[in-house]
Parts: sequence; structure tokens; C-alpha cells
Amino acid sequence: MAELALAAPRIRPRLGRDEWLMGGGLLVLALYLAVTLLLPLALMLAKSAQDRDGAFVGLANFARYFGNPALSGTVGNSLWVSALATAITIALAFGYAYALNRSRIPFKGLFRLVAMLPLLAPSLLPAIALVYLFGNQGVLKGWLFGESIYGPIGIVIGSVFWTFPHALILISTALGTADARLYEASESLGASRWRTFTTVTLSGARYGLISALFVVFTLIITDFGVPKVVGGPFNMLATDIYKQVVGQQNFQMGAVVSLLLLLPAVLAFFVERWAQQRQISSLSSRAVPYQPKPRRSRDGAALALVAVVAVMILGVFGMAAFASLAKLWPYDLSPSLRHYDFSATDGGSWASYGNSIRLGLYTAAFGSLVVFIGAYLVEKTRVAKPLRTATHLLALIPMAVPGMVLGLAYIFFFNAPGNPLNFLYGTMAMLVLATIAHFYTVGHLTALTALKQLDPEFESVSAALKAPFYRTFWRVTTPLCLPAVLDIALYFFINAMTTVSAVVFLYSPDTTLASVAVLNMDDAGDTAPAAAMAMLIVVTCAGVRLLHVGLSRELLNRTQVWRRR
Amino acid sequence: MTTPYLRVRNVTKRFGHFTALDDVSIDIHRGEFVCFLGPSGCGKTTLLRAISGLDIQTHGAVEQDGRDISALPPAQRDFGIVFQSYALFQNLTVAANIAYGLENRKRPKAEIQRRVTELLELIGLPESGPKYPGQLSGGQQQRVALARALAVSPGLLLLDEPLSALDAKVRAHLRDEIKILQRRLGITTIMITHDQEEAISMADRIVVMRGGRIEQIGAPLEIYHRPANLFVAEFIGAMNLLPATRIGYGEIQLGSARLACAAEGYAPGAAVRAAVRPEDIVCTGKTNGHANSLRAEVREMEFMGPFFWLSLGGGELGEHRLRAQLPSQRARDLDLRANDATHLHIPAERIRLFPHGVGHG
Repeated sequence: MAELALAAPRIRPRLGRDEWLMGGGLLVLALYLAVTLLLPLALMLAKSAQDRDGAFVGLANFARYFGNPALSGTVGNSLWVSALATAITIALAFGYAYALNRSRIPFKGLFRLVAMLPLLAPSLLPAIALVYLFGNQGVLKGWLFGESIYGPIGIVIGSVFWTFPHALILISTALGTADARLYEASESLGASRWRTFTTVTLSGARYGLISALFVVFTLIITDFGVPKVVGGPFNMLATDIYKQVVGQQNFQMGAVVSLLLLLPAVLAFFVERWAQQRQISSLSSRAVPYQPKPRRSRDGAALALVAVVAVMILGVFGMAAFASLAKLWPYDLSPSLRHYDFSATDGGSWASYGNSIRLGLYTAAFGSLVVFIGAYLVEKTRVAKPLRTATHLLALIPMAVPGMVLGLAYIFFFNAPGNPLNFLYGTMAMLVLATIAHFYTVGHLTALTALKQLDPEFESVSAALKAPFYRTFWRVTTPLCLPAVLDIALYFFINAMTTVSAVVFLYSPDTTLASVAVLNMDDAGDTAPAAAMAMLIVVTCAGVRLLHVGLSRELLNRTQVWRRR
Repeated sequence: MTTPYLRVRNVTKRFGHFTALDDVSIDIHRGEFVCFLGPSGCGKTTLLRAISGLDIQTHGAVEQDGRDISALPPAQRDFGIVFQSYALFQNLTVAANIAYGLENRKRPKAEIQRRVTELLELIGLPESGPKYPGQLSGGQQQRVALARALAVSPGLLLLDEPLSALDAKVRAHLRDEIKILQRRLGITTIMITHDQEEAISMADRIVVMRGGRIEQIGAPLEIYHRPANLFVAEFIGAMNLLPATRIGYGEIQLGSARLACAAEGYAPGAAVRAAVRPEDIVCTGKTNGHANSLRAEVREMEFMGPFFWLSLGGGELGEHRLRAQLPSQRARDLDLRANDATHLHIPAERIRLFPHGVGHG
């Protein structure tokens, strides 16, 4: 019988309109990601093996890099500073997350909110605040015992500040999903508190910790804002790329450093994916949520810790705000809005701020559109399985690509004379493309999660009812996923407002951005206007965040009547 | 004989090296209610998805109403489908859900309205049109899903475990309703289920499947009383399977008893398995008025309300164990208790023989 079936011709499924449209859409998306991501990166890889004239030189650039201690010494610098800052961030974030999830301190909502504030600011902001706090004219200069804030100390403190919420989110998720039954078992078996902590708490949160460790390390080692402002003479890999490319126009050496920067990011990417999968499977659906009981000593210590950290975060923001409003630091501290004028500085202007808003809006609109439709096609297309897998993998790449690397890759690709897309170079459109590509992965994964929560048979039913897929996509899938789409749009907007790393290579005189203006004004010595611009970004992001909360609530009330029972 | 409405011919589905469907052929007639029944992993869902075009088979043909639909995408086939999860559009009202397929056919608004009202009445939820699916109970939601599938008057209705997510009482109720609805509309229906009781009570014919193959196709009575093989015998209902030996013409030896039964096809002396349903064993107590009888002792009695489960052994059964169903009323008449000896009558036509040693996997 089996032979008979084998001899019969294999059925070749015929494609209907839906299959053609979805397969075609998937192909367009794959091409889009190839052009805005894969080709630029591939070109950069090629550049690292070429000399200035474009001739192939193999690994000669790498040999020259490691042969020059002035350059390769940066690798060591970057590694130890990033490791130290990561250790401090993880320790603080773990304590903070523990206090929020496993103790009975008051004002948890407020403390959670304060901890998330650094997400609304470019990484340049804490660096500028540090200059005001501990710089040569700093209010707390004495606290450093004569050490200079410019250098490793400043980089470590600034890095801890802006990566803190990232670590907190990951660790909090891990600690938030505790199974109370394990604690009861441990207690009834007579284990000490310390033993329970190490065997239940720590081991339950270990994947979250590992994941946070790698993510934070990558964020710090690839960050450009903090070392640029408070690094002083101390070189880091990310500032080296900038110096090689912008300072010396040595693009090939920039490509070499970029590839080095890619290594920890790629490693972190795989570790993070591995840890994520473990974390999910460790909690069964039968788990009982853990409710901490009040305990004086623990709750007191927890409150002290979160209070100190929260005050430090608020202090940094307060310092930046104060500096931006003081008339002439440190001589005349009377309040004034003169630093918000920007006309006296040549690094930035209100036009840069307008450009940033435009970039944020375009990125949020087009980014969430592309990402959501893309995730839908990857998840729901019934045909072209290899293309689906390939597109999904393409969508994951940005998570492993530091912004500096992407920015440099864009120069190579879009500025190449033969490229028909060359007309985009230096335009707002290219900044939008770069920013969407830079932050694609998180949006993609958010959209996939939302789509996977829908009934997988919606498409089967709609096909049986002869409804074209786009009708069901528009009338059912999109309304059901709207909260997730709004989240993605917000994520794109805030990141477009605060990012420096990718766009610092790509802006033109017509498309200067607020975040880059902070950098340039600080570079030119206009620190107070830089602080003012940074505060503008923070206030704008906070405003949009509030708008998002209101909009989501309004949406739930008005269009999502069906959620009510 | 009319030509079948749906013909499945030599359908095979492979996922890599795994064969989910192995050369399956079935003919289904217009207006028939057919159940695909089998344990999970038997291929029943794969077969349904091949018929619907949601997952097209690797080899073989599917014909519907004389049309070869083997390679067509689902949108070009003619079927309505209902899933275990209901798959109702949560953000649309019940009425909008039912109208979904009609709107797509560009029917006039008034006609759609009329059809929706008609269907809401058909499923017994005339007031629920403006509600959202989340406001209905599971059973009500499944009825709405059924109405949505029926709205466009498909030629074939596919039900993918439609009752499995519901609790027992609702399930029994909806089972009858679906059956009545199907008879009234005369729509050709395929339902997949792993619940044999559901299949027996609803289907005109049952297709018993295992490991990607069809084990038996037949009416519920036929499947129940004349199982084609050991797997079907054990899978459907309760069954005693006892090792026995064929002795003379039309006779087997079971323990030390001799029982008459149809034994064609087995050589004298051949080891066989004798299959007897517990409800076919008649307990006659101390009297032995029947030819096909044996003696045994009651080892255990379990009261189930309308009947007792008896566990029998010893006597002529020897080491063998037999389970029998004894109506409560009869147990009262016989005054039967544990450890009593009793005669058991097994009608010859209620014993079926299967080759020995071919167990089910």
C-alpha cells in the first residue's frame, strides 16, 4: 500500500489570492529588511577587509589595530569598565527588584515609576548631570577625594544610571513569577532563611539574572553617550569608532572596531534567547503566586535601599533640570530660561528639537505599521515556510547590532556612489529607516506575542467563510492587538527621541536632532544648553508616555466594549 | 447507488519522515453524519485538515460533489468549520460574527439581517445578537460558532472536537441539538472526536482510526457489535478479552468450560482471543438452564446504581477473570453476594474470536 501511495504524484497545493498576497507581502518585507539591515552590515564586513582605496587586504586592518597599543588598549578599558558597571547595576537592580516583589514596603508603585524614569532620557543626560555634580565646579566634588569624574568613575556611574531600568525590568519579571508552594515546602522542611534565599529565590531568578547580566553588559559596552561626555581622555570602543570615523575619516578602522563591538552583542543575543526560553518553561500553570509576609528587618532594609536609589535617580534628573534653569552656573543661580533659547549656541537649535519630534512620529507611525504587518505575515502566512523563518531571523538581527555599528554600516551602504538609494543619504527618510531597523526586534517580538494570544483558527474560519485575509486582519486581528500596537509605537517614539548612537553618523545640517544636539553642545562647552535640551527630551517623552496611558485607557473604554463581561 | 458526495482516495500526509496519514480512503454520502474517532495522534485531525485544505495532503485525492479539490486552498472549497476553541471574533457582536461570511458575499443588508435573525432562532439564542461572545457561556458560544459556519449554507460542515471544551451536562445537551439541526438541514457533516460515546450517539457512520490508518468504517451498531479487530473491540465500549483455544467444530475451550460460538477461519487447536461484552454475560445464579454456560465465583461486586460491576473468577474460569454487568433488579432477585458461586450464560452469537497474540499498540 505504501508503495502505491509513493508512486502517486505528489500533490502541489494551488495558491489562492490570499496565499499570493501574503507570500508576496512576506517577500517585500524580507527585501525591506535585507536592504535596511542585512546589506549594510554585509558591506561593513567587507569594508573591514579593505584598504582606503577599496582593495582587499584580508585581515591587515585587524593586524594593524591589535599592533597599535593606543588603539587595542581600548578593548581592555571597555571590558573592565563595562564589567564593573554591569556588576553594580545588577546588584542594585536585584536589590530594588527584590524590595518591589518580595517585601512589604509602601509606595511600591511610586518607586517602580521612579526607577523607570531613566528610560525617558538619552544616556547623555546622566553624564551631563555628573559633570555638574562632581565636575571641576561640581557641588559634590569633594566626595571623589580628589579623583576626577572624567574617566572610568564617571563612565561607571553614568552607565549604572541609564541601564538600571533595563536590568530592573528583566530581574523583576524573574522575581515576580515566584511559586509560593516552593517557599512553603522549603519552610516546612526546616530550611533557614538564607538557604531558602539561595535555593529558591536565587535559583528561580537565575535565568532573569543571566539575561540581565548580558543585556546590561552589551548596553554599556556599546554605549556612546556616557563615555563621550564624561570619558575625558579615557577611550572606550564606542568612542573609538566615533573618533576613527568622524575625527580621522578612517572608515576601515571604524569597521574593524565595529566588528569587535558586534562580538559581545551577538553573544548577549544568544544568551538572552536561551535564558528567555528557560525562564518561561520554569513556571507551570499550576503555580501559586507568592505573597510576602511582613517582616520588619527585611522590609526596613528594603525601604532604605529603594529610597536611596530613588533619591539618586531623582537627584540626577533634578541636577540636570536645575543646571538647565540656573542663569550662570555656579555664580548666578537665579532661575532663567535663557539656556532654552539655543540661539547663542551652534550645536543645536529648536529646529533640532522639531526634527526629533518628526523623527519620533514618523518612526512610531511607519515602524509600528511595518513591524505589526510584518509580524502578522511571519506568524500567519500558510505558505512559504522557509521565507517565514528567514524573515523572522532577519527581524531578530537588530537586537544583536549596536547602534554605532548600524550607523556606520548605513554610511557604507547608502553613501556608496553606485547605490540607487543614494538619494536617501542625509535625509529624514534615512534617519527613520535607520531608527526602525535599530529598534525592530523588540517591536517584532511584542507583536508576535500579541498575535500568538489570538485564537490560531481565526484565519481558518475566515478562509472557510471566503473572507479575504486582509478583511479579517483589519476587522478582527488589528482591533484585538491595538494595545500592543500602541506599545510598539510608544517604544519607537521614545527611542527615536533619545537615541544617539546610530543617528550620530547619519544626520545632515537639515536633519540635526535634539539628542545629537545635546552631544554637540556639550562638546562645544555649552553644557547648560545641553542640559536644557536633554531636559526637553525627557519632558517630551514623559508627556508622550502620559498621552499613551490616556489613549490606551480611552481605547479600552470606547472600542473594546467586548472586553467587559 | 448514488455517487458519494465526498470521496477521499488514497490520501497520505507526511511531515518529514513521520507519516500522519497512510493511504486513507473514505466515501461519504450526501446528508450523512460521519464521525472520525480515535485516540489522539491517530490522524483524525490531519484528515480533517486535508479535507478542508488547511493542511493539504502530500499524496492522494479529495473530491467534493464531483469536483477534484485535492490541491485547492481552503478559500476555494465549500465548507463551514467549527473548532473546539469556538474561534469567535471577540471584538464583534454575535450578530456580526454570524453575518461575517454573508457580508463577504455582498448580499443586501436586509437579507443579511433576515438570515442572522433566522439563524439566531435556529440556535435558540434569539435575543443574543447584540451581545459579545465574552458575555455568553461556552455552550452558547459554540452554538454561535455553528450558526456562523451554517450562515453561508456550505455543502459540507466540519466539526473539530466541538464539544470537548464544554462540561458534561452542556455537552450532552448540545450533542442532541447538533444532531437534530444536522438532520433538519440535511447537511453532510464530518465531526472528529476522541469520545466514543459521542460518536456512537451522533454518527450515521463511524470511521475508527489509529496510527494514520482506518481500522474500521461502519454504523455505530456494527462497530459496537461486530468490531473488525482487537483494537476496535477494545477501543469502543468495555470488552472482556480472554485467551481460549478452538476445539471441535464451532466450539472453544475457555478455562475448563466449552462454549459454542462462530469459529470459522480458525484451525482446531488454534489459540484465539474470545471477546465478550460485560452486558452480554447473563448471570443465572444457582440455576443452569442454558446450553452455553459456565460456573464461576463472584470475586467482587461494585454497585453503580442501575447495575453492578461483577468481577468473576475461579470455577470453570480458573485463573481467568471476567467482568460482567448485572442489572440491579436482577441482583436483587438472585440475592447475589460476593464469594457466591453462580452460573453464567454467554449467548454463542455474542462471542467474537480474534487471532491470539495480536495486541493493540
